[in-house]
Amino acid sequence: MKYIPTIGIECHVQLCTKTKLFSEVDNDARGKEPNSCVSPVDYALPGMLPRLNGEAIKFAIRAGRAMNCKINASSRFDRKHYFYPDSPKGYQITQFYHPIIGEGYVELPSGTRVRIEHAHLEGDAGKLTHFDTYSLVDLNRVDTPLIEIVSMPDIHSAKDVHDYCKELWRLMCYAGVTYGDLYNGNMRFDVNISLAPEGAKELGTRTEVKNLNSFRSAERATEYEIARQTKMLESGKKIKQETRGWNDATGKTSPQRSKEEAKDYRYMPEPDIPPVNLTPEFIKTEVDKLPLMPSDYREKFNGIISNDILEILLDYPDLMKKLNEIDKKYVKSISNLFASVLLAEEKAAEYLNDLPSAKDLNELAEMNNKKELSSTATKEVFLRLFDPQMTERGAKQIAKELGLIQENDLDALKKIVDTVLAKPETKKAQDDFRAGEEKAIGFLVGQVMKESHGKANPSAVQDILRKKLTK
Amino acid sequence: MNIKREDIIHLASLSNFRLNESEIDSLGHDLQDIIKYISQLDELKADDVEPTYQVFEMENVWRDDEILPQEADREALLDLTKEAKDNQIKVPKVL
Repeated sequence: MKYIPTIGIECHVQLCTKTKLFSEVDNDARGKEPNSCVSPVDYALPGMLPRLNGEAIKFAIRAGRAMNCKINASSRFDRKHYFYPDSPKGYQITQFYHPIIGEGYVELPSGTRVRIEHAHLEGDAGKLTHFDTYSLVDLNRVDTPLIEIVSMPDIHSAKDVHDYCKELWRLMCYAGVTYGDLYNGNMRFDVNISLAPEGAKELGTRTEVKNLNSFRSAERATEYEIARQTKMLESGKKIKQETRGWNDATGKTSPQRSKEEAKDYRYMPEPDIPPVNLTPEFIKTEVDKLPLMPSDYREKFNGIISNDILEILLDYPDLMKKLNEIDKKYVKSISNLFASVLLAEEKAAEYLNDLPSAKDLNELAEMNNKKELSSTATKEVFLRLFDPQMTERGAKQIAKELGLIQENDLDALKKIVDTVLAKPETKKAQDDFRAGEEKAIGFLVGQVMKESHGKANPSAVQDILRKKLTK
Repeated sequence: MNIKREDIIHLASLSNFRLNESEIDSLGHDLQDIIKYISQLDELKADDVEPTYQVFEMENVWRDDEILPQEADREALLDLTKEAKDNQIKVPKVL
């Protein structure tokens, strides 16, 4: 029997606001000492009053619209109670009943549409590090603003799991709401997977693989779960509804603590935070700040940049913005140059910290277009444009200084060709070519290139040689 | 609604409370009384009344996204803990 997987994903995105969701404490704890970014609000001293960060509301609006979601005019916060050392309050402040972000959808590069059920704002928990006999608690991460994005179960393959996670990451980065640093847990994915026989009306029992922190691990964990559940169902066993953890090293999932049921969280309205009521004007002001999104670029550059290359470049919002500033007729050649650097150069992403100006890129593409620069020379000048000491010179100047400008002046080239043909050592090659040996032309082109110190345009040289030798 | 012993034991485990036998019963009685008291509200007709989430009728109480110095620092936090190690709070192993 064939089993069809049905998959829904919850994604936690850490917002890059300056301060935390409920306190005026530094929200960027990267590289900082444990427990150095905390306030009495975060560690829940009695009587502390959480105060909502207005910027997080604005971020949520932009994140929501990036996913084509409705922004709810009214939203509220609730307390979700659970006992764990990562949460000094004994509850998480979240939006259970009235989330700020309503229904929407994310479109994958393949065209698959994944509907968003809703997304809500909440505070993150602290970080636990486990040792042999004890655990250590670092509260720096407590109440870092999170958006939890809940998808509908619209995904049916591990590949789409990967693509959905990646597209969400792109959308959040383009919307400018997160640092998007997956290695440091800025985005974490929980994947819910169930299998049902093909054509079945009801979904099977699902398992949830929690805390996946890369697209690849989300994809691999899904592949593993599909295989594991298929094997169990085929041997007549029942799937147990449970939370599972993923081990990247072994490539396996395994059961984790049993999860509380919703009623065990004893949700109640958060009395300390008044409701959030948004006017259409306020929402519009934030939405208008959104730049072009990946889907806009796909539409815009359709037929200009090939899909494979576009999907590589789309990972870099600043690069896409730059391409958008470039003369449309040069977009294809410039995007190819960027792709070749990203695919070939070590530390390619570092190149992109300081992008060349659109003027330089246009100039470079123009020189290449006029055949003033060979393709090798174009790439060489392109790489130099990223060097901060070179950028002031501009593309043309760099090309000149490196002696890369090709000689296209036909009269000048003809003179060089004549000089070469007059040399006795080229006599044999000339005779060979006239006798029909096609290869001999290569030797002659090489001699002309040498005579011109590499500056001649080889295809123009070949044309001249052919004309002269077949006369 | 009747509060059963299992409910008290379940709630205690969710809150990580250790209760002795007599406490289970007395807490059960107290909770039962509280629920009975609150249940009086069920007699009121409130079908067309909007649910109240908070009583101050405030909205959009937001603050600016600016880092402010905190009066209490890490030492103050760690002083409150039973045991600290490497500037972190040491707790029994939990998984």
